[in-house]
Amino acid sequence: MRLPDGYQERIYTPQQARSVEAVWRHEEPQAGRSLILPDGRCDVIVRYNADRAVVPRLVVTGPATQSYWVTFEAGDRWIGVRLRPERGGVLWGEDIGVAQDQVALGEAAATRVPELARVCVVGAREEALRQALVRFVEGRALPPEGHRVGESLRRIHLAGGRFSVSELAARAGCSTRHLNRMFGGTVGLSVKVYGSLVQFHRALRLVCDAGGSLSDAAFEAGYADQAHMTRAMRRFGGFVPSDIPEGLIRPDVSGGLWGGRAT
Amino acid sequence: MKLGYTIIYVKNVPETVAFYETAFGLTQRFMHESTLYAEMETGDTVLSFSAEEVIELDGLAFAPNEKSAIPAGWEICFITEDVKAAFETAVAAGCAPVSKPHGVPWGQTISYVRDLNGCLVEIATPMNLGT
Repeated sequence: MRLPDGYQERIYTPQQARSVEAVWRHEEPQAGRSLILPDGRCDVIVRYNADRAVVPRLVVTGPATQSYWVTFEAGDRWIGVRLRPERGGVLWGEDIGVAQDQVALGEAAATRVPELARVCVVGAREEALRQALVRFVEGRALPPEGHRVGESLRRIHLAGGRFSVSELAARAGCSTRHLNRMFGGTVGLSVKVYGSLVQFHRALRLVCDAGGSLSDAAFEAGYADQAHMTRAMRRFGGFVPSDIPEGLIRPDVSGGLWGGRAT
Repeated sequence: MKLGYTIIYVKNVPETVAFYETAFGLTQRFMHESTLYAEMETGDTVLSFSAEEVIELDGLAFAPNEKSAIPAGWEICFITEDVKAAFETAVAAGCAPVSKPHGVPWGQTISYVRDLNGCLVEIATPMNLGT
C-alpha cells in the first residue's frame, strides 16, 4: 500500500461496524490536483478547509469504475466514510442501480443524506464531522440481500478478482443472472466489473511492489497477456503500466476483511 | 535453505486448531491474540494456520480451500505406526474419508482424508528408505 503524506485511514472489521469499511481523512497543504482511483465503493465525504470560515461541503459518491482528478486549494481537507461494497444502498437507496460513477454535490448530496447536511456548517470540527458520518452510516437500515452478496465479495477478493461468474453463482446457490441482479441492487455494479476492479488493484500493486517485469505482473494478476493488463489500467486508472503517476493514492481496498490496523 | 513452515490459509483459525487437535492429536503451541494466526506443535517444521483475510494485504491471491471444491494439488502427511486407528479418529472427528488405510507395494500403509476446510491430509506409516 502506498499512501502519500496527509492521507490516513482506519479500517473497520465487520465486527466493529456493519456498513463502515473505513474512515479516512486527507489534507493538502498546497494547491494542486490528485488522481482518485476507482474502488467500486460508495463514499460519503465532507470537504472543508483549514480556514474554518469556509463552509464544509458534502459529497456522496456512487461506486466508481473510472479514475478522476480532484483539484484542490491550499489547506483543503476531507473526511470520509468508505462503505462496504455491498452497502451502497445505505447512501443511494434504490438508486444504487444507477449510481455507478455518479457524484452528488450540494443539494443533490443533501437530499441523499439530510442529517449530514445539518452538520456542514461554518466552524464545524473534524471530530464532530467524523462522528456524524459514522453515526449516520451505521444508523441507517441495512439494504436487503447485502449479506448474501458479502460471501461472494469475499471470494472475489481472496481470488484477486480471478474467478468465473458461473462458478461464483453456483457457490451462492443462484443463477448468474440472479447474482448479477443482487450485485446491481447492493454494490451497484455487475459481478464482472467489480471483479475486474479487484484484479486491477492487485495488478497495480504487483507492478509497483512485486519486483518483477510487467509481463510477470500481468501473468500473476491473471490477465491473458500484458496487453490485457494495459487495457485494464487504461480503463480503470487512465494510465498505462509503464507510466504510473507519482504519488498515487492506493488505499487498502481489501474489502475491510482485515481489521485492527489503525493507521 | 530450510523448510520452516507449512501455512494453511483458513476461514476460521481457532476452529481449525481445535479440529486438528481432535482429529490428528496435535497440540497448539501459539495463537496470536487476534486469532488470525496459530501454530501447532510439530517440531522444527511448523504447521500453522493463518486467516484468509490477511492475504490481500500482501498482494497474494489464491483459490480458497473449501470442502465443496476440488482440493488443491498438495497435501499434509502425518506419520504414525497405527494408521487404522488414526484414520478412524480423524473420520470420527469430522474428516471426510477419501481412501481408507491400505498397503502399497513399497511397504507403507497409507490413507487419505479431507479436513474441515477441504484440505487433503494423508495418514501413513513412515517410509522405509531401506537404510
